[in-house]
Amino acid sequence: MQSSASTADGTVAPVPRLAMHFASLEVQNHAARLGMWLFLATEILLFAGLFICYGCYRFLFPEAWAASSRSLDLTMGTVNTIVLITSSLTAALAVHYAKEGKNRMVAIQIFLTLLMAVGFLVIKYFEYSHKFHIGTLPGRYYFYEGIQLPGAPMYFTVYFCATALHGLHVIIGMVVLTFSMVRALRRADFGPNNYTMVELGSMYWHLVDLVWIFLFPMLYLV
Amino acid sequence: MAIANESRQEAHNMEEHHGAGRYWLIWGVLLVLTLVTVITGRMHLPSFGLVLALVIATVKGTLVTLYFMHLIDHRGANRLVFSVSILFVLLMLAVPLLDLGTRFRGSNPPGSQYSDLQPPDIGANVKEGRFGGGVRSHGSHEQSEGH
Repeated sequence: MQSSASTADGTVAPVPRLAMHFASLEVQNHAARLGMWLFLATEILLFAGLFICYGCYRFLFPEAWAASSRSLDLTMGTVNTIVLITSSLTAALAVHYAKEGKNRMVAIQIFLTLLMAVGFLVIKYFEYSHKFHIGTLPGRYYFYEGIQLPGAPMYFTVYFCATALHGLHVIIGMVVLTFSMVRALRRADFGPNNYTMVELGSMYWHLVDLVWIFLFPMLYLV
Repeated sequence: MAIANESRQEAHNMEEHHGAGRYWLIWGVLLVLTLVTVITGRMHLPSFGLVLALVIATVKGTLVTLYFMHLIDHRGANRLVFSVSILFVLLMLAVPLLDLGTRFRGSNPPGSQYSDLQPPDIGANVKEGRFGGGVRSHGSHEQSEGH
């Protein structure tokens, strides 16, 4: 039932370990996925708080919202969306190859994902520095003279909170995926029975993508 | 027993080999939808622009959860957890909006659509934001704000 991999010293260790309180490997994997979904549900609700801030203040200040969202750089936002969606593809492919036991391909796909994550953050950095330069900053730090509408500083409060929290999740996701990549390179023991680590890391990465899929139209387009 | 059946079903579905083609297909659809949302977004459609953008985003999000996150292969509990979290998001959005739309107008922020009061300023420190404005208008604006 369980696959095994030979370790460096020649002994054969069963992979993955079945914890004694689980009836079978299937139940153990199911529990792992369910736990991940519960965690992702809390993450969704964490971001939902910011989405609701966005909704309420947009409801109160529609003109400021429209004017402010047009001041953002749509090209950079679109490029970032494409980068993140593509990184989601490579993360999904990493799980696919982990199931097939092609550890080298897992490492390559995760490496591509990380590369695109860095690209995303670099583009985000340029967007942020532009905003710091022209003064579209949250609350009392706002000094942009192009948009002088009540509510405009609130838009940028929501913008910075949402994108910064999302950026933090990008960094956490990169750390999680790096662990999978190192394991695929060092121990190379991912296979049909042992891919939970890649799968859950990839699920986290898809959540990051999912949040951006909603943030992008809300902040840049409408 | 139900749990064991559910996990067996899930393990079976996850085992099933789809090939990598499905992921590339979903990726293509996501890119097309991104293009559509950018084009329609740039037209600045007056009333249903927001609805359209959110519908497209929801379709994209559904594709990501179902296929990239394999929710389509999962059963029971996993789906329940996810859909309940979405339900709570919608509830959390609906109730404050209803409140803001129906409350006594005087209690909405001045300057907003649902208030008759003029804002004293836009809520920002235009002349001397503590860092930004202060740095930029160095020396030229020496007035103090009485906050």
